[in-house]
Amino acid sequence: MYHKTTGYRVFSYFNYAFMILAGLACFLPLLHLLAQSLSSKAAISGNMVSFWPVGFNVDAYIKTFNNSNFNGAMLTSITRTVLGTTISMFILTCAGYALSKEFRGRNVLMWFFIFTMLFSGGLIPSYILITALGLKDTIWALVLPGAFGAYNLILLVNFFKTIPKALEEAAFIDGASFFVILSKIYLPLSLPGIATVSLFIMVGHWNSWFDGILYMSDASKYPLASFLQTVVVQSNMQNMAMSQSEVAAMSEQSIKAAQIFVSTLPIILVYPFLQRYFVKGIVLGAVKE
Amino acid sequence: MKKRTDLWKMVSMVMLSAILVAGCSKGESASETAPASVLKDGKYDPPFTITIAKQQDENAGKYINGETLNDNVLTRWGEQNLGIKIQTTLLGGDASQYNTKLRLALTGSEKLPDVLPVYDTMLVNDLIESGQVKEITEDISTYMPDRIKEIYKQYPTTFNPVVREGKVYGMAIAPNLTEGEVMLIRQDWLDRLNLEAPTTIDEFEQVIAAFTNEDPDGNGKKDTYGFTFSGKDSYNTGWVSDPVMIFSAYTGKHLPRQWHNDNGKLTYGSVAPGNKEALAKLRDWYAKGYLNKELATQGAWDALSDFTEGKAGIIIGRPWLYDSVKDVEKNVDGAKISAYPTIQGVNGDKTYQSAQLNDGVFMFNKDFQNMEAFFLYYDKMYDAAFSTGEFKYGYAQGYDYDIVNDEVTFDPTKFNTPLEAVQGVGKMAFTKNTPSVDGPGQSYYDLANGVKADTGVLIQSASKDQTTQDGYRISYENRDVLLPNEFNGPPTPTMQNVWEQLTTMEQETFTKIIYGNEPLEAFDTFVKQWHEKGGDTVIEEVNEWYNQASETDVMTLMNLK
Repeated sequence: MYHKTTGYRVFSYFNYAFMILAGLACFLPLLHLLAQSLSSKAAISGNMVSFWPVGFNVDAYIKTFNNSNFNGAMLTSITRTVLGTTISMFILTCAGYALSKEFRGRNVLMWFFIFTMLFSGGLIPSYILITALGLKDTIWALVLPGAFGAYNLILLVNFFKTIPKALEEAAFIDGASFFVILSKIYLPLSLPGIATVSLFIMVGHWNSWFDGILYMSDASKYPLASFLQTVVVQSNMQNMAMSQSEVAAMSEQSIKAAQIFVSTLPIILVYPFLQRYFVKGIVLGAVKE
Repeated sequence: MKKRTDLWKMVSMVMLSAILVAGCSKGESASETAPASVLKDGKYDPPFTITIAKQQDENAGKYINGETLNDNVLTRWGEQNLGIKIQTTLLGGDASQYNTKLRLALTGSEKLPDVLPVYDTMLVNDLIESGQVKEITEDISTYMPDRIKEIYKQYPTTFNPVVREGKVYGMAIAPNLTEGEVMLIRQDWLDRLNLEAPTTIDEFEQVIAAFTNEDPDGNGKKDTYGFTFSGKDSYNTGWVSDPVMIFSAYTGKHLPRQWHNDNGKLTYGSVAPGNKEALAKLRDWYAKGYLNKELATQGAWDALSDFTEGKAGIIIGRPWLYDSVKDVEKNVDGAKISAYPTIQGVNGDKTYQSAQLNDGVFMFNKDFQNMEAFFLYYDKMYDAAFSTGEFKYGYAQGYDYDIVNDEVTFDPTKFNTPLEAVQGVGKMAFTKNTPSVDGPGQSYYDLANGVKADTGVLIQSASKDQTTQDGYRISYENRDVLLPNEFNGPPTPTMQNVWEQLTTMEQETFTKIIYGNEPLEAFDTFVKQWHEKGGDTVIEEVNEWYNQASETDVMTLMNLK
């Protein structure tokens, strides 16, 4: 009975303590944010809010949802995430399925893809390309450039490879085409892998802000992350030529907190439903036949 | 073999569509120049579009009535009244993102906007070198309206960064001397301890000592201290939580991190002799607990929360700082804040502080042919500053001001349709900041001397909190202490290599001395090393730039004498 030994028990206690601490370290900032979003402005600027609202009110949330730009940005972000994930998954499953087979030139193709993981064109060529293709100021500028990710491809290819070849051969004999095999056999069987990669892509789209600021020349087209970037992050102004009204706007910490909190909610809500696939999803090369 | 031809078909299709897309976008830009607009009775017909670049400000998402960046009360006004449509085609987030986008636009992948507000001296330099911005010496002379010429005449040094070989490539954005800093003190603490507001460094020391040791809030606990400021980025923040007054008390006009014209030669303030005494003082105060314990890790904005919480008794900043810390009057019963001028130097002179003359410069696309239209629009923007013409009270009724029962009001809660906060309508034009000719607060000074509030600017000033008004009045009365940085050119070659290193060394040395981690003599070592590690070359180069910038008399060329 190894788990009855003193050493094991001590280890267990430490383990629990450590996990609880780690859990708190992740959870408390969120709680602090929630408390701030529900507190009065005076209490926040006086540094008096920790984990419980001081001067409880929900003004910040009312203001946030009355802000047309916030709602617009939320919509852009949702569209972007759904569209981006769909397009990416379509491309990745098609490519991944093909590349999990043996055919001539497969390694060369694979090498091309991996090359993009190691070297990228950089900011300026990407920008020129997007501008020249006329994608600027459209949602495509946010969705298309990242649609194909080599890392996610490798994950999927490896997952597809773990599916027994015999299944596919049996289906061939019954007269199934490649597409039928992909949709009826491979996709259902690799749900964990698909769910994991989808979540990666989803979170990536939800959180990315730089491309929004880069490719949009109208703030009303910003996705949520870019919107938050302009409202929250840049407010640590070092610029001295500020006027009174601007500075008053800066101190609206509760609204910022509410906006951040609202913007993290969707991803937090999606996560539990995909989380159960995680362990199986990323067994990259861990189990060999 | 069949498969291969399919592939080629696909590839050629993709390429064809790419060419088509590119072709279309070229076609669009060509058609823009077609009809020539004529100026008739102050209005262009047919209306034409000026494209602008814009650094997104805090107004992000704050347009009311469903308005947007390119369709709001001000753009509509411009189209209807002037026949000029302002369209933002390049939008940046914070300063660095905005600079990145301007640089990307310089690659020629898209048309540069007509009007470019630029806030970075290096970028100003690069834009001039790129040959893509317009030389406007003649245009200023010909098209700039007289009342605006009068303003630019007062600030000749703002042209220094945009002059190359006697040619002018830009102009300062709405030059105007910024307001000066005041000392905000907890008046109730002073009263309770029977103290007067300090006017010298010794009195200042007595007050902060009392604020720390004599329980000014009367709660029986030693939980207060005297003076809160930020030492995170520089000991000269220039706007809030600024300790520069203490340095200036010993160094006079040589402020840390700033260049000063000392009898025709630019010198760097951080290495001036008096700094050592100032650091000795701060070090002593820090050890005694009179200062913010975390001053080196707190940014300007963080440093004021101690004041708002009721822990610190004195903070220094621009007069509007009151608006940001007045919550202490809500958080703590009986708290009251008063504004006072900064203290005197040790030799009896005033203490000095940094000031700004302008926020960035306007530059123009070299293909932009409508400078007179730009100036027409720009002049209208000044209406609000001069309280004349169409923007006599403000930019738009119901947005930044309103008329209720025949009374002009700037209090958004009293509007006919009450608002959360006033709308910065002026900011919907070219720039982040609205033109002002009020200097360090002349309107407040006038009000305090009994002038009747009958213009837009005066009414607006009169609507502010009393403490804020006092602050501005003090700022105006002490406007002679404001020192703009004399070096406003692009970083010199040596600066680009060593400046980062030198300022880091400076910041670390100052902080370590104040914290007591290094002896006071570390300052002498710092000065020696500063000069040796490139400081001397930088001084040489900066002076070279200064002499060259003031060599040609561009003011006469622009007819601004």
